[in-house]
Amino acid sequence: MRAWWSRLCRTLAGRQALADDLAAEIEAHLDLAAAESSDVGMSPAAARDAARRRFGNVTLIRERAREAWGFPALDALGRDLRLGLRGIRAAPGFSCVVILTLALGIGATTAIFSVVHAVLLAPLPYPDAERLVWLEEATPQAEGISVTWVNYLHWRRENHSFAEMAGFEAMHLTLTGRGEPLLTRAGAVTSGFLRLVGMRPAGGRLLDDRDEQAGAPAAAVLGHRFWLEKLGGDPAIVGATLVLDGKPYQVVGVAARDPGLFRKPIDYYLPLAPFRTATLDRARHGSMRVLGRLRPGVTLAAARADLDLVLRRLARIDPGPEDQHHAFAAFLAPHLTREIRPTLLVLMSAVGLVLLIATANVASLVLARSTTRVKEMAVRTAIGAGRAHLVRQLLTENLLLAALGGASGVLLARWGLLFLTGMGPAEVPRLAETRLDSPVLLFAGALTSLTGLLVGLVPLWTSGKLDLVSALKDGSRLSPGAAGGVGGAGAIGAIGAIGGRCGTSLRSALVVSEIALTLVLAFASGLLLRSLIAAQTLDPGFRAQRVLALELVLPPSRYASPPVARGFYQRLEEDLRALPGVTAVSAVLCPPAAGDCNDSFYAVLDRPAPAPGELPVAAVNFADPSYFGTMGIALRRGRAFTAADRAGAPCVVIVNETFARKWWPGEGGGAVGRGIQLGGPALDGPRCEIVGVAGDVSQLGLDAEPLPEIDLPFAPSESAARVVMVRTAGDPEPLVPAVRHRVAMLDRSLAIESLRPLAQSLAATLARRRFGTLLLTLFAGLAMTLAGVGVYGLLSYWVSAREESIAIRVALGAPRGAILRWVGGQALALAAAGTALGAAASWAASRWAESLVFGVSPRSLSTMAMAVAAVIGIAILAALVPARRAARLNPVQRLRRLGQ
Amino acid sequence: MTTVDEPLERLQFLDGTLEVLILRSLQLAPNHAYGITQFLERQSANEFVVDNGSLYPALQRLLQRGWISSQWKTSPNARRAKYYRLTPLGRRQLVAATSKWRRFVAAMGRVLAPEG
Repeated sequence: MRAWWSRLCRTLAGRQALADDLAAEIEAHLDLAAAESSDVGMSPAAARDAARRRFGNVTLIRERAREAWGFPALDALGRDLRLGLRGIRAAPGFSCVVILTLALGIGATTAIFSVVHAVLLAPLPYPDAERLVWLEEATPQAEGISVTWVNYLHWRRENHSFAEMAGFEAMHLTLTGRGEPLLTRAGAVTSGFLRLVGMRPAGGRLLDDRDEQAGAPAAAVLGHRFWLEKLGGDPAIVGATLVLDGKPYQVVGVAARDPGLFRKPIDYYLPLAPFRTATLDRARHGSMRVLGRLRPGVTLAAARADLDLVLRRLARIDPGPEDQHHAFAAFLAPHLTREIRPTLLVLMSAVGLVLLIATANVASLVLARSTTRVKEMAVRTAIGAGRAHLVRQLLTENLLLAALGGASGVLLARWGLLFLTGMGPAEVPRLAETRLDSPVLLFAGALTSLTGLLVGLVPLWTSGKLDLVSALKDGSRLSPGAAGGVGGAGAIGAIGAIGGRCGTSLRSALVVSEIALTLVLAFASGLLLRSLIAAQTLDPGFRAQRVLALELVLPPSRYASPPVARGFYQRLEEDLRALPGVTAVSAVLCPPAAGDCNDSFYAVLDRPAPAPGELPVAAVNFADPSYFGTMGIALRRGRAFTAADRAGAPCVVIVNETFARKWWPGEGGGAVGRGIQLGGPALDGPRCEIVGVAGDVSQLGLDAEPLPEIDLPFAPSESAARVVMVRTAGDPEPLVPAVRHRVAMLDRSLAIESLRPLAQSLAATLARRRFGTLLLTLFAGLAMTLAGVGVYGLLSYWVSAREESIAIRVALGAPRGAILRWVGGQALALAAAGTALGAAASWAASRWAESLVFGVSPRSLSTMAMAVAAVIGIAILAALVPARRAARLNPVQRLRRLGQ
Repeated sequence: MTTVDEPLERLQFLDGTLEVLILRSLQLAPNHAYGITQFLERQSANEFVVDNGSLYPALQRLLQRGWISSQWKTSPNARRAKYYRLTPLGRRQLVAATSKWRRFVAAMGRVLAPEG
């Protein structure tokens, strides 16, 4: 304590005085020693030199003594930082390239990581979110089947695995009585739902068990945003009444935030039970999904088995068509992100590769610089720097560079993040919540330190013993670029300074691995680009241009009876056909690329009946007779629907080519005339005749293989929801107001679900692919640039180290072309080694890309050839400048310099 | 033991011993750094080589602990030098360290003494 105190006092009180004192003391010491020597007859100068030799390294001793005064670690750090900054400023070009390279690598990695963190890693904002489970029904063939109300009630009552369970389902209701009729999205939920997601009321109360009782007044809880934006944030809203689909609901509260579990934002929450209590049919599906919270210690598999047990018991006591159904259970977080996960993981790997390339590049640059610093290091050693000292100082300098790069990288990441969240596909959960928050900054800091250490340690790796004399001599004799290279066997810098074959081969290895990683990225982005092009240019099976898609959902309160709904659509279609500029109008249930819209079990009548658990499933669509003509969908065989295919007439269907190929492969017209039966496992639906085979139209998106599909004319089954396709002679956009007007003329209180050109919604289905492809291509471009810089740097160094031998060759009559070929050959050798490695790695990794590739093989040879060509092209381009420099070298001047 | 001590090789200081020896060299009279070196080499019959790289930091440490104090003075042959002297605290430390060192040497001797 006492020593510490006196140390502090001395530190604060004039260290300069102490330093001067010490210097004077050492001078006196030397004087005394010299005086003694001259007493025995030496000349004063010789005596002085002898004393100095005996004394040792004055600077070093002074420094060691000084360390005893203060806080040596802190002191040394300050000094190293100062020296580091000086070193960085001394080579501004080098420092700029290093900082920029690191900033790009760290920035891109940080930006992508922040998205991965927000979307995949951060815990969901619900209480005990890690125990929340998404529950559905499933069959051996199909997943994603909604849970029936009866099954839910039994699950909830009879399970032993869940602390709480709740059902939820989105509904479309029309809000009237508050200005324009508004199509709103209701979250119909059981009371446990709001508890499970930890919702808090911003005002009033939330839904509870009371609201589910029979006879309870209809209650609604508003979503915060809906309350603010559509109801003006009226503070007196609690207690007011909303008319939804003609039924009054009392607002009992306002929710603090949207839990975000529904596909689209929810406007308000209603109790689900009143919509369902009349149902006793165990196979009656709505679109309800179930959320459960596992009891502590219960595994997912145990919970699944528990729910299956309930379903099997129900199948015994209440047999029905769905006895084969079992429970689907998945943890909530991975379930919500299952679609974007592969894209994000590929992007994260890609950006990691970019960072590796950047690090290799910087390491190579630092190696190159350290060979030019042999002399500087030799001087430092000569005037008293210890080896550990130099290591520390160089590490500090490299860490400082890395820190500057990392800080710039975080700035870049901020900017990149705006871009990512701005153009990311809207359906990615929590993308908008992406922030550069503390975990992300911690990650960036860790990356920065790691790259700094790696880069700082690379030059130390091969460091040998310093031969002071030859390093100083070589350094003074040779051009700086060649100091290490030609310095002879011993001229390897103590620290950081390595020259000769060792450094060059290490740098070559770094550049070769850069090229290999770049090829992997180029190949992957090539695959994705070709997939995107395929998805955009493959014939979608219909003419998407010049079509307006008008999506309507008729509220059941006024359109409950099928003839009323049918009448409405008939009149609407006639009105729209009369609009100038409209050439055809037809309605359909599921437009192209609508996603998971409607499907059904079926059986082919002249085939043996499948076992109950193995019934095939097909997409089922309903369309106007003229739909195929309006959309330009080709009819391959048989006939289209006609006006005669109406209710009461024999059931006819048109199947798509995939369906026909599945059952009658090789027979061109085999499908026409055959019979199929629709319906659940009991096949209680109508028996229909296949009258035609239509061209394939992908149901799930432009980048998905088509599923087998059965199309029916609208007549046999009515649906209140339809998409009316309006084909126009010219640009469809200007017709939007006229179409809107026609709808309002027929039903003033009908809200339009959506109205926009079909091409737009089709393009939106490619948003995720476009997002991933664009980013990966960007990263590949970045990688190519970095690899190009790497090749350029290495070859420039290679050429400057061989100026003499080039000069001699030219002097002896070697043609310029030979020199160009010599340097070019080096570049080609690097590129060939790198691409061979990269090709092997890509081949091994191509399995990963399988889920993201469409319309091209994940091991496409032509894509590989293009990637290889691009990478080799970059390498040659990068070699051009040093090669020309070599070829233009003036041998006379260079050799004369050698002689000096 | 296969290694035989090389009598021409001079002895290195064990950790902490240099401080004790400095204190001992100042027991009779104040001295400067060069003088301390001379004293130690002479007293040890040139067995010890005093490295300035260790001596100066050791002096600084002793100053900080308050065991010695320093003062610029003129030497008998009319040269200015920085003289170090023992403080009372340093004197007590020397006594303690000396007795501890004796015990250590005796113990070492007993352990290393040839058996029988």
